Amino acid sequence: MIRALTTRRTEMAPFLLLLPAVATMLFVVALPLIFSLWTSLTPYKLTKPNTLYDFIGLTNYVRIFGDWDFWEAFLRTIGFLTVALNVEFALGLGIALLINKITWGQRGLRTIMMFPMMFSPILVGFQFKFLFNDHIGVVNNALQSLGLTNRAIPWLVDAKLAMFSITLAEVWMSTSIFAILLLAGLFAMPRDPLEAAKVDGCNAWQVFRHITLPFLMPFAYIAMAIRSLDVARAYDLVAVMTDGGPAGRTELLWTLIARVGYDEAKMGQANAMAYVSTILSILFTWYFYRKLVAARRYMGGAE
Amino acid sequence: MKLKTTLVLGTALVALAVPAMAQDYGSFDGYTLRVKLIGGAQYEPLYAEIPKWEAATGAKVEIVSSKNHFELDKEIKQDIAAGTLDWCVGSNHTSFAPQYGEIYTDLTGLIAPEVIADFVPLMIQHSTVDGRLVQLPRHSDVSNFFYQKSLYEDAEKQAAFKTTYGYDLAPPETWAQVKDQAIFFSNPPDFYGFQFVGKDEAITGRFYEMLVANGGAMFDENWVPTFNSAEGVASLQFFVDLYAAKAVPAGVPNYTWDDTGLGFGSGSIAMDLDWGGWSSYFNDPANSKVAGNVGVIRAPKGTAGKRTGWSGSHSFSITESCDNKPAAASFLTFLTSYDNQMVEARKGLLPTRSKVWEDAIAEFEAAGNTFSAETMKTFQASMSEDAFTPPLIAEWIEVSNALWPKLQAAIVGDMTAADALNEAQADAAEIMKDAGYN
Repeated sequence: MIRALTTRRTEMAPFLLLLPAVATMLFVVALPLIFSLWTSLTPYKLTKPNTLYDFIGLTNYVRIFGDWDFWEAFLRTIGFLTVALNVEFALGLGIALLINKITWGQRGLRTIMMFPMMFSPILVGFQFKFLFNDHIGVVNNALQSLGLTNRAIPWLVDAKLAMFSITLAEVWMSTSIFAILLLAGLFAMPRDPLEAAKVDGCNAWQVFRHITLPFLMPFAYIAMAIRSLDVARAYDLVAVMTDGGPAGRTELLWTLIARVGYDEAKMGQANAMAYVSTILSILFTWYFYRKLVAARRYMGGAE
Repeated sequence: MKLKTTLVLGTALVALAVPAMAQDYGSFDGYTLRVKLIGGAQYEPLYAEIPKWEAATGAKVEIVSSKNHFELDKEIKQDIAAGTLDWCVGSNHTSFAPQYGEIYTDLTGLIAPEVIADFVPLMIQHSTVDGRLVQLPRHSDVSNFFYQKSLYEDAEKQAAFKTTYGYDLAPPETWAQVKDQAIFFSNPPDFYGFQFVGKDEAITGRFYEMLVANGGAMFDENWVPTFNSAEGVASLQFFVDLYAAKAVPAGVPNYTWDDTGLGFGSGSIAMDLDWGGWSSYFNDPANSKVAGNVGVIRAPKGTAGKRTGWSGSHSFSITESCDNKPAAASFLTFLTSYDNQMVEARKGLLPTRSKVWEDAIAEFEAAGNTFSAETMKTFQASMSEDAFTPPLIAEWIEVSNALWPKLQAAIVGDMTAADALNEAQADAAEIMKDAGYN
């Protein structure tokens, strides 16, 4: 009898030890999620707290599913995410490879490389907004002074250029995250396969293509998973540079959600939008984790 | 010894300062007044005066939050949602006030009637929502028309303008003249005749005041949106035409207040409709290329003979849940007192007390600062005769958010002015219907 009790107590121990962690997770993650899910089923307005108790079913969801402005912002966010992540990866890889080659001053360069990450996105937004000002901005003035153009290029207004300008600011700010993570991968890379490849007569491109890059891909996918969550939440930078305009040309999910939730105080509808947008984040995270597992399997690592 | 002298001197100064206060602010010994105030360089000099009120009343002021107005707005909405309105005084604005429902108390009865009588009557009217005086105006804003004087004095330009347009080149009296002159002065990409703020509530406000000046209205008497009227289309067409003619910078759909202010100061814009707060910057040779060459007149008239005059006031309110309303009312009276409005007026902010207007102008004239005196007179006239607020309803910002992307779409040529306004009207009508207006 005593033995059975002791066994049960031993069996319970892991669960009891996990209880504080589970309770904390429930409190800080599950509870807000359930609360925001509930608000998305109500006409909740911040300025009218009583609306929190009016259940309206899926009305908010039906409304946003039929709202083309929302879907445009949704698709634009996917496009922005795809372009920004790929460019950041390509540039980050290039920078990491170059810094890896340096033997003197590498630490200093690594620190300098992290400078853009130290600025708040709001400051970066203001900086690029003024750089790209069509009339008094540095970019247009430089182009005109160099005789490359005689017109004022509307960087933040033109349908294509506006998204390009925002992407450029985003890339400037965040490429170093990729560079740092990929550099860490390069540092961790064993020398043996590289030397073996050289002995076998592989050229530099073949070494890079078949050894270095596959080894780095797990690092790249981790960076992409993290960055995809960041970029999908892009708000400050875009809010400062264009605030989704003009005429919705640079509207992303979170500029739209913040406007509906705070300016208009319609938190119920904003939460419905936010719930749909989390699908996007889940899809991207799932995709990158699948790629990560595949890349590790390719390298013969543990799954 | 030196420390002792300083202490004695300091005590003497405080002792002198307290009886020097003209108004009796009452005694609230040991009470701590919790306040949320708008922060930023131009607002801070007033807050440096707060220790005087503390010394006079024995109360303490705890600034629990100091943020820009948009951040403060979010915070207040969160406080309403969370039921944490545990503070007494908050910065407010005439455009924001209607959304907050009844969280702010009616100041009638709390603030002495003779104090309220010292304010410009129109400003008190603008601070009243549903018959309740929910805020005491601190300083006001209205836009007036700045221009580069030298352009109008150039004989060659005068002759060329007359030949093309058939009337004399002079600072514009109507918006139709602004359009002619903007196109005439423009030489893109180096020089533009005009500019305007092109996004957020800023472009809604510009469109709205043009609509009113042209004889239109945002809503009819039943709160049905009517801005897609013929007057509305004509008002929007003004902006569309200037953009298409390249008489404004190509980036204007992304401009807000800092862009237009800096743009005019750069010397490459002929005319600018802007807030009074920019006037000292425009005339400061250290920052502005148009210093000494700035003219200012009242905003031009629309086709209905009315001047544009979209206006708003920064203000202070007292929460309904405040545990010591008399102390809060005393604090509001102090913050908007004659002396304190003079402090802000000297920095270029537009006062809301009638006497401060007169005395600030006299002070500028006595100091030989004719530009500031002229600017102040111009703004005084427009504040008392031309100024009007947006409709004081809780849905204003929401309607504005439905409208401004469509205004932009017309300006950049994605749709016609009529189509843009029709689409925005349908969205705005839905918002008003949801809010239970019709």
